[in-house]
Amino acid sequence: MTGAVDKQGLAARLGLTLLNLVLVVVIGGFAAAALVRYSPGFDVDENSWNPRISAATSEALHASRARENELPRFYLNYLSAALRGDFGQSDSLKVPVSELLRDRAPVTTRLIVFGTAGGLFLGALLAWLAVWPRKSAGEIFSVTISGFFLAIPPAVLALFFFFEEAPLWIAVAFAVLPRVFGTIRAVLANVHASPSLLAARARGVRPLTLAVRHVAGAALPQWIALAGVTLVLAFGVIIPIEALCDVPGIGQLAWKAALSRDLPLLCGLALIITFVVACAQSLGELLGWEGIGR
Amino acid sequence: MKWLKRAALVVLASIALMGILAPQIAPRPYDAQSRESADAPPSSAFPMGADEIGRDRFSRLLYGTRVSALLAPAAACVSIVLALGISFVAVSGSRIVFFGFSGLTTICLSLPWIFLFIILRAKLPLNTGPALSVGLTFGLMGLAGWAWPARVFAASIGEMKQSAWLMQARSAGVREWRIAAVGMWPHLRAIALAQFRILVPAYVLSEASLGLLGLGVPEPLPSWGNLLRDLQHPDIVRSNPWVLAPLGLLCIAMVCLELLQSSREAAL
Repeated sequence: MTGAVDKQGLAARLGLTLLNLVLVVVIGGFAAAALVRYSPGFDVDENSWNPRISAATSEALHASRARENELPRFYLNYLSAALRGDFGQSDSLKVPVSELLRDRAPVTTRLIVFGTAGGLFLGALLAWLAVWPRKSAGEIFSVTISGFFLAIPPAVLALFFFFEEAPLWIAVAFAVLPRVFGTIRAVLANVHASPSLLAARARGVRPLTLAVRHVAGAALPQWIALAGVTLVLAFGVIIPIEALCDVPGIGQLAWKAALSRDLPLLCGLALIITFVVACAQSLGELLGWEGIGR
Repeated sequence: MKWLKRAALVVLASIALMGILAPQIAPRPYDAQSRESADAPPSSAFPMGADEIGRDRFSRLLYGTRVSALLAPAAACVSIVLALGISFVAVSGSRIVFFGFSGLTTICLSLPWIFLFIILRAKLPLNTGPALSVGLTFGLMGLAGWAWPARVFAASIGEMKQSAWLMQARSAGVREWRIAAVGMWPHLRAIALAQFRILVPAYVLSEASLGLLGLGVPEPLPSWGNLLRDLQHPDIVRSNPWVLAPLGLLCIAMVCLELLQSSREAAL
């Protein structure tokens, strides 16, 4: 009976998640299409500058372009092209957005994966220090470290690592660390105070078994959900880091697009990143939920 | 920990006061150039040295504090007012309205704020004046940050709408505006204050990151963000360590804000 209810609950959760992703595509696609459609200079037709065409022809060209680019029609065309992987062409670089993305995605992915993993690991380590040994020195140390990294802008951290010629994913990790520390600490504190853990300790269970079965097992669902949320943070810090440290990734591309007011590129990037992050978050929540249900 | 909270409050008030009194304290206007003193070392004329076009770093730091430390709370207020309004409409409307609200917040929370911000910033005309640009920078920050507080407000209002005291008040014929003002506002005020404390440091840091990228407050107006741009040149930092002063002030402000936030959480 409980299993059936669990399956029904999971199906409902899955349905909601899919609906949410569809909403992200529909609403996000509309916002992106509207921004591209109303970007400065979008309506200008290069042919209208041709001195050899008459004013009437120029007028007709302009009217036909305006009809073609009415927002509802433009939105449908934009969305159907985006679903096929075509996000238009960059205004400033004159290259398809999907091609630019293909070239730069591996650099950013590496930085984000290592940075997020490092941030989560360091956050967990500090949170463990703050909660587990029950020593105020450990707590003060971990809170101070986390507060220190929270007070420094990620871009400044990145500059430091850049000039010291250290790997930049460490800067991402240090930027992510204080933003996950509080949550991991709260989760660990809950686990630490749970009756099952107290009972296991009283039975004399070995520390390694305690850590793997009772702590990691109990906190895993929340940590998986947290990993999804952390992706947004990592994407947020990646722009200043890549832009200032000259890393040829998606963040640097977005920054260059913003400086050159290349809205087709910027909106295409934003739409893709929103979708990827929403997928990761939903997956994290689903896995976390399934873990909680077990 | 009360003394720590008090100390943090005193430091923050001093920083704010420094910003407010910048025109009185600063020895020179923030944009006054003295080309013969370009990159001048600290002296009695330039207490923190001069930048590459001979502007007094100390005066610029004071004016920058005014921009960053005072406008970030204003942007947080914009976010909270917007979030309150949107969440009220979403919770009071039909299921479709609420579903749309939920989708919109999901999108805003899935898109890193910096993307949203640089998209909005890229839409601004190139000839936007510095003062208007500062207002728009922080205004856009306020607009972009509505989603998370709105979710918290909507959850709280939704819970209150199901509560027994609200149903009882309605059945007793108490008017809606009175329920909102007397019954709901005290709960929402506490949430608004908590969100304010979270948003202010986030906006201070955001402005700093944007300033470093050249997408924040434009020259010649100073802010903590655009004053940090000198950190991109290690030789300048080595020759005049006072270049680090904006970073130091930013860190002190952030630590104090964090202390206030954590002492509040501990009290709760």
